[in-house]
Amino acid sequence: MRMRVAYLGGVLPVLMSLSLLLTVLPEQVLAQGEVTSKIYRYRERVASGYYEGYEVSPRRQRARVAIPGTPRGTFPFGTASSAVRLRSRLPDSHRGLKFYERTTCIECHPREARDLHSTRADITCRQCHGPEPIAAIDHYYSPMNSIRRYAYICSKCHEGATVNFADFYVHEPPAGSLETWKSFPVLFVAYWGMLLLLVGTLAFFVPHALMVGARELTETRAFRIPRLITGHLFESLKQGFRSNKGKRSKKKKARADEGNNAH
Amino acid sequence: MHIRRFNRIQRLSHLFLVVTFLIQSGTGFGRLYITTDFGRSLCRLFGGYEAAIVIHFWVGVAMMAGFGGHILYLLKRIDRKDPVKSIMGPDSLVPGPQDGQHMFQRILWTFGLGSHPKLDRWAYWEKFDYWAVFWGLPLLAVTGVMLRFPVWTSIILPGWVLNIAALLHRAEAILAASFIFIVHFFIGHIRPTSFPMNEAMFSGSVHLEEAIHEKPLWVERLKKDGKFEQQKAKPPALWYRVLYYIFGYTALGFGLYILVNGIIYGRYIELH
Repeated sequence: MRMRVAYLGGVLPVLMSLSLLLTVLPEQVLAQGEVTSKIYRYRERVASGYYEGYEVSPRRQRARVAIPGTPRGTFPFGTASSAVRLRSRLPDSHRGLKFYERTTCIECHPREARDLHSTRADITCRQCHGPEPIAAIDHYYSPMNSIRRYAYICSKCHEGATVNFADFYVHEPPAGSLETWKSFPVLFVAYWGMLLLLVGTLAFFVPHALMVGARELTETRAFRIPRLITGHLFESLKQGFRSNKGKRSKKKKARADEGNNAH
Repeated sequence: MHIRRFNRIQRLSHLFLVVTFLIQSGTGFGRLYITTDFGRSLCRLFGGYEAAIVIHFWVGVAMMAGFGGHILYLLKRIDRKDPVKSIMGPDSLVPGPQDGQHMFQRILWTFGLGSHPKLDRWAYWEKFDYWAVFWGLPLLAVTGVMLRFPVWTSIILPGWVLNIAALLHRAEAILAASFIFIVHFFIGHIRPTSFPMNEAMFSGSVHLEEAIHEKPLWVERLKKDGKFEQQKAKPPALWYRVLYYIFGYTALGFGLYILVNGIIYGRYIELH
């Protein structure tokens, strides 16, 4: 009976909390949902360049024609509108750039080359962004598109990467800048919070410790304590040295006596 | 005459923390500064860039095990008959309103205004030291595990949380290392009352005169409670003192090496 009560009192609340937790947590997305078999996957899709409609369809993303900085729907559609494009949605993101063939990625994207992937893992731009023409990250058919990035890009190195995983900002914005407050506010707050904590702690304790040290210098009493400590140490060392010296001289004397006796 | 200030478990915990903290600093800052000569030489000490992270992770696991042990030790130390007194009493490290008062009084004393506060067993700066480690360790552990297992983490959390984790892990490590290598080392080694080294955490005992000078309320309380005789301790042996002096100064040297190079090479790395 007691066991049953203990079971009902202990296990059931745990199970209930777990089920509650499951309703709160985001829905699990199995790793590589699109890739059921790597071998078939490669043979039928990647190598052939053929993808199923569901893999490349825009889903919730709609084709967007927009002018950066202009609210949606306020600009008129006209013949000229067809020329308006966002680079992040072009099939060739560098289309129309002058002297593109002679430039390197770092010349135009210096900050992007300083992230952990580049500096620590020696990953080159092409390893993720692919060969020319480099599709824009939001283009429907781009492997970098967020709907399939985890399977086509991240999983190359991070086996088992999920949709969530692809949310990682490989090219982080500068955490302290005001632009980051708009694009990645949590990073901005974490950065300034930790910086304030670091600066605040040191700004209080470093001068405080130094001032205490300076004040103690004026106190004759404070000097008695280190003298007490070191004095004892030096005295002990001296005594130890003397006693060893005494032992050595006694040994020498004993040896000399032995020699004299032998003669 | 000496009186006991720390028991064997407390001293061993501190020694464990010193060793693990220095290893974590060496491996962690070695990896953070890997693009510089300083980082490469630090990593070389631990077998290279890849070996450093393996050591960093397992030493971190050991630290968390130690932290778990410390929690058990704390729970054991709570007096079940009078838990409030043992948690909030003068032998506890839980901060109280008197700590703020002592801090204010001591600041005035540094300017020559008023007398030095009469401290009990734990001073406010010692409590700060303790709680800084107490909240810093779990933060570093949680973010460290998240960064070590990013794919597992992203099963339940969005990937951008890893960006935050990396930032928090680095910032907290820099905060902890700079506090220990500047403030804690200054208080423990350099300031006139401690110079050349505050031995209490290694020997376990302090000279009575030192205790009366720094913690008069504690000594008075011991005498009042009739525990003074029990607290009497033998002074540490010479060989032991030499040993912990060498150890203490090695730790100080290693810490200063990381601190100075960290500042010099700081412009080549980013916090996030």
